[in-house]
Amino acid sequence: MYRLIVSHETRLLARTGALWAILLLLVFAIGFAALAGGRSVTRQAKGAADAAAFEDGVRARMQADTEAYAARLAASGGTYEFATVDHVPGRGPPQGTNAGVVGAETAAYVVLPPTGLAALSIGQSDIQLRYLPASMGTTLDMVKNLEIENPVNLRTGPFDIAFVVIFLLPIFILALTYDLLSSEKERGTLAMILAHPVSLRELLASKIVARASVMLAVVMGLGLLALLGVGTQLDQVETWLRFGLWLLATLLYSLFWFLLAVLVNVHGRSSATNGIMLAGTWLILVVIVPTLVSLLATTLYPAPSRMDLIVAAREAQTAGEKGMGDALDRFYAEHLDQLPAGDQRAMDFLTLSQANAASIEKALLPLYQQFREQALHQEALVQRFQYLSPAIMMQLALNEASGTSTARYQDFLDQAYRFRGEWNDYFASRFLARSPLRPEDYDRFPRFEYVPEPAAAVMARLAGPLAGLLLLCIGMALLPLRQLRRYQVAAR
Amino acid sequence: MLEAIELKKSYGSHEALKGLNLRVGAGDIYCLLGANGAGKTTTINLFLNFVTPTSGEARVNGIDANADPLQTKRYLAYIPEQVMLYGNLSGLENLEYFARLGGHDGYSADDYRGFLQRVGLQEDAAARRVKTYSKGMRQKVGVAIALAKQARALLLDEPTSGLDPKASNEFSELLLQLKGEGAAILMATHDLFRAKETGTRIGIMRSGRLVQELSTDEVSHADLERIYLEHMR
Ligand SMILES: Nc1ncnc2c1ncn2[C@@H]1O[C@H](COP(=O)(O)OP(=O)(O)OP(=O)(O)O)[C@@H](O)[C@H]1O
Ligand SMILES: [Mg+2]
Repeated sequence: MYRLIVSHETRLLARTGALWAILLLLVFAIGFAALAGGRSVTRQAKGAADAAAFEDGVRARMQADTEAYAARLAASGGTYEFATVDHVPGRGPPQGTNAGVVGAETAAYVVLPPTGLAALSIGQSDIQLRYLPASMGTTLDMVKNLEIENPVNLRTGPFDIAFVVIFLLPIFILALTYDLLSSEKERGTLAMILAHPVSLRELLASKIVARASVMLAVVMGLGLLALLGVGTQLDQVETWLRFGLWLLATLLYSLFWFLLAVLVNVHGRSSATNGIMLAGTWLILVVIVPTLVSLLATTLYPAPSRMDLIVAAREAQTAGEKGMGDALDRFYAEHLDQLPAGDQRAMDFLTLSQANAASIEKALLPLYQQFREQALHQEALVQRFQYLSPAIMMQLALNEASGTSTARYQDFLDQAYRFRGEWNDYFASRFLARSPLRPEDYDRFPRFEYVPEPAAAVMARLAGPLAGLLLLCIGMALLPLRQLRRYQVAAR
Repeated sequence: MLEAIELKKSYGSHEALKGLNLRVGAGDIYCLLGANGAGKTTTINLFLNFVTPTSGEARVNGIDANADPLQTKRYLAYIPEQVMLYGNLSGLENLEYFARLGGHDGYSADDYRGFLQRVGLQEDAAARRVKTYSKGMRQKVGVAIALAKQARALLLDEPTSGLDPKASNEFSELLLQLKGEGAAILMATHDLFRAKETGTRIGIMRSGRLVQELSTDEVSHADLERIYLEHMR
């Protein structure tokens, strides 16, 4: 019986324009979103590669200089020395021997590698810069281009596939289901059907199955095409596991909207009323609640402003400079490159500026800590309130599955800060010891190696939203059963 | 075949049926007469389990329709005042769907065409989408569905109201055929003439009660009208 009704419903759907119009829109929306997602990922990858290549180029030239210097010494004799501040090229040791110069004037880029699915859910990654320069100086230099003030942004800006799934898919689903029973009742066919040995439950279930299988087959098919088209790392198991989770979340989220249509339909109201109620519910769950939760998070746990950071940095710098003796000293502190070559002061000033940077960094530390804490608070609040709206759960689940979640990014930032520290220590210790950099040292500079989060951590974060969606669906499936028994078949 | 036993139905404080007893046996055409709001549709809906009785039983083939509706609906065919079908499907497709809903999977395409022929729907119309059908054509498909379902009991709610006299007459002919095949037919109607012509028995309802039952061969057209009007006073 189920099979009969399902195939009948599918035939009816195929003969109405609505289904085709919806599928066409879906194809276009997902197509555009996939292209936009793919472009965003390539842009970030290219940006990272270009920036790294530039810095590597600078260092390669410095290394070549030190090689030439070493060769010259080998021919002429003499000791391999440490360059002070050199503005006379060709004579004396090249700047590349000075660890302070190399460490401060070149940067190593730390890169958060995208997952294979990144193009499917750009998510926060437009505000998350995925490659950052690590060099001496302060962390401020590293994050000054970073959007650190609003790490939690639930209002998905970009038109990516996650947006299509979270915002548009429910509309398409509701367009196909808002009059699931009411249209049959209004058309008068409900009484005709129910004069046959069919229960209302069977009828409803079959109607949902017919619509859900068409929609889900199309959405999942398009998702797969998108992954094949703009996804990366397709040869890795991780990509497919992530895609499996992505599909699971999409399945549960879609199911929620189908079941919502059932819940509204079993009350026997008119199609128009059902439509309005469902549209209202969509607005509340998909737009209003996420906006309010986001607002609540940023109001309760506001991040310190960027201005605070800059002001604090300035104050620390001024305080540092005050300890620097006379006006001439202060002038040269700011214009190190204009010191006469070989001047002893150059050495002292480089040391001083190193000490200065360290004290600025120290002054800024509580502020970074505050940023981090507020971000974690915001994230925790969203995690807690996600259960108010399937759209939030879905956003969190998709971001997590695609590796664009706030948590993964915070972990990356921690790794990035740690690496900057390493880089700083490596060069500062050599510089302060006045130990010259040799050509072979260049191959031993600290390298950033992104350490992927353990799968268990990712799964633990996914468990909340997925379990939430699952329980919601179970509840939504049970809720209409009682009302169904009271359904008025006869039109009045 | 159809049996109402002390059947009561209240909508809130309003009693639509106040203890109805009636029997429709195989080969009977039982016509329910009565003013608007007398409770005819309510009676039919109770047999279909579209509404739940307040007390009493509506039995089909000895089974309480409220206790086991999926079973009783195997025996029933229902033709409402407006047979409503799927406009985007043809008459044939509609017939096939409803026949299979009724549990009859074994028919061939020829069988379906045969049913539609038997109820007098033209060949070319059968393949056309139902949204182009007139009311009479849809009522015919309704009868074809009942035929295909091999229903042992028919519930008809003013099935001929609004049909032209010829269509109405053809419809009555079909009922007589079904009756000949041993179907039990319960028909709510306002058409005293047709009730007398096609019916075997007549029940007059008033305010949820059956006030008189009579056999059509006991009365003339004129008598029936007189009796009916007396009850309505
Ligand atoms: N769903 C309902 N809710 C409330 N009252 C109802 C409902 N259905 C029927 N009634 C009432 O029950 C009574 C019987 O209605 P019913 O439809 O059975 O009459 P009827 O004999 O079929 O009338 P008609 O000749 O107009 O079709 C009427 O008074 C009607 O108002
Ligand atoms: Mg009626």
